[in-house]
Amino acid sequence: MRNTIQLFFYITLRNWTVYKKDFIANISPTVADPALILVSLGLGLGTYLTNVEGMSYMHFLAPGLTVATALFTSFFESSYGFYVRMSYENVFKAMLTTPIGVREVVFGELIWVGLKGALMAVGVSIVLALCGLMVNPWLIPAVAIVGCLVALPCGAMGLLATAWVKNINQFQTVYSFLIAPLYFLSGIFFPIEQMNNIVRFVANFFPLIHGVRIAQAIFWQKDIAEALAVHGGILILQSAVLCTLAYTQIRKKLIN
Amino acid sequence: MITAKSLVKKFGDFTAVDGLNLQINQGECFGLLGPNGAGKSTFISMTYGTVQRTSGELTVFGYDPKTHSREIKKRMGVVTQENALDESLTVFENMMIYCAFIGIPKAERQKRVEELLDYMNLMHKKDMPIMALSGGMKRRLVFVRALLGKPELLILDEPTTGLDPAVRHLLWGKVKELHSQGTTIVLTTHYMHEAEVLCNRLVIMNKGIVAGHGSPKELINQHTPGYVGIFSDDDRAHVNQITSNDSSYILTEDTSGVYVRTNSLEALTTLHTKNNLTPLQIRPSNLEDVFLKLTGQDITVDA
Repeated sequence: MRNTIQLFFYITLRNWTVYKKDFIANISPTVADPALILVSLGLGLGTYLTNVEGMSYMHFLAPGLTVATALFTSFFESSYGFYVRMSYENVFKAMLTTPIGVREVVFGELIWVGLKGALMAVGVSIVLALCGLMVNPWLIPAVAIVGCLVALPCGAMGLLATAWVKNINQFQTVYSFLIAPLYFLSGIFFPIEQMNNIVRFVANFFPLIHGVRIAQAIFWQKDIAEALAVHGGILILQSAVLCTLAYTQIRKKLIN
Repeated sequence: MITAKSLVKKFGDFTAVDGLNLQINQGECFGLLGPNGAGKSTFISMTYGTVQRTSGELTVFGYDPKTHSREIKKRMGVVTQENALDESLTVFENMMIYCAFIGIPKAERQKRVEELLDYMNLMHKKDMPIMALSGGMKRRLVFVRALLGKPELLILDEPTTGLDPAVRHLLWGKVKELHSQGTTIVLTTHYMHEAEVLCNRLVIMNKGIVAGHGSPKELINQHTPGYVGIFSDDDRAHVNQITSNDSSYILTEDTSGVYVRTNSLEALTTLHTKNNLTPLQIRPSNLEDVFLKLTGQDITVDA
């Protein structure tokens, strides 16, 4: 058991080594994308929307952006990134000749994705707090929990997509019909209560909406404990199910 | 060290390994030869558990790879068919992360990597990205990776395919050295000469089963007459006419000419002295002759 955990850690370490090589390039979308959305939507659209849930549109928009970052960073890493290493570079073929097993490959990857999600979400919230969009900036470390809890199931969805696609182009289908809808229909851009009932119902089965709820609670400093208990609990459950599924599906790809 | 009994592996309807019986002993340099699709790589992958058998028995170091692959993998090194180097990392970083995977203590890693880079003449490329290496350098680096854990069993899956003769000879030298130091070696290859140079025992596989086994010399003696004379296509009719009545000659045809096989050198030279037939070449039979005989020449259609 101790051995296994150590090996998880080495897979994570490998990804960190690669990540920090191009740290600026890797971190830039984290800062640039939310800033762009804030400027375009927040300042642009925000002039028309002066009261959303009793606050300015910028304040409403801010928390969701941390969650969106966790979604994209985890999904892309475990879809395109993992797929390239698996199918083009054959990295796992060599790794699996060492004491590393599929379990270590998959869970090491997921731990990394979770950590990266936490890191990126915190990065974004620092930028947002500097713009004065966080009621209590001391709560920034708590955003790490949201980042991690969203990145884990979304990373697992990326791995499931990796196991499912027949070639790298098919990720676009997954992106168009799963990731993009999640991004737009999870209460980041407008209150989910305004949505069609069916969409609301379906959205609950995916991780993003629950992450948004927790992020909003933290950013607005409102019912944090309750949000963590309810939506955090759901996210942990979704993570457990999706990560286990991802493991079994990737295993089928790597072990014949 | 490796024992396979009635080993079978099916991928859907396709049977890759079809009742394989093999015994590889400690200290051997054992060769697995066979055309593409003969089941060599499937067998190799089964020994460390990335392919799992459909039926039969397989043990490596006495362990079943299905349930104890980690124990097996701790003691083996594999030169994989694809280089599978981590393109995002440098030469040194690649090897350091593998040291971690293998479980080499942190304090010893750098020394071990530098020792082996030196051994494979790659020290000057230590901080290069993988992309900057030539094909031969990448292959040497894969050898370094396989040797990091000081394996008792070294598996070489087509180690020199696509390499120039200089690198091939360098790698052969290293393999011989490792073998003489007591490492057990299992080699798959398409190069008959490579197998003759390195292996003390080998099997020729075809369609998932063993078609022939023994030392290179035994195989040659067992399956082919001692000598081959190769005659030009223009002499085909003449050669046919002379040899067809004499059962000591075996005639095979090939795109590169007419092959006359026989047990004695004299039988071939008489073709020249008595019948005025000049062969393009006369040579002793080699492993390639055995290979072609045992695997058939037309089976590569769907391989």
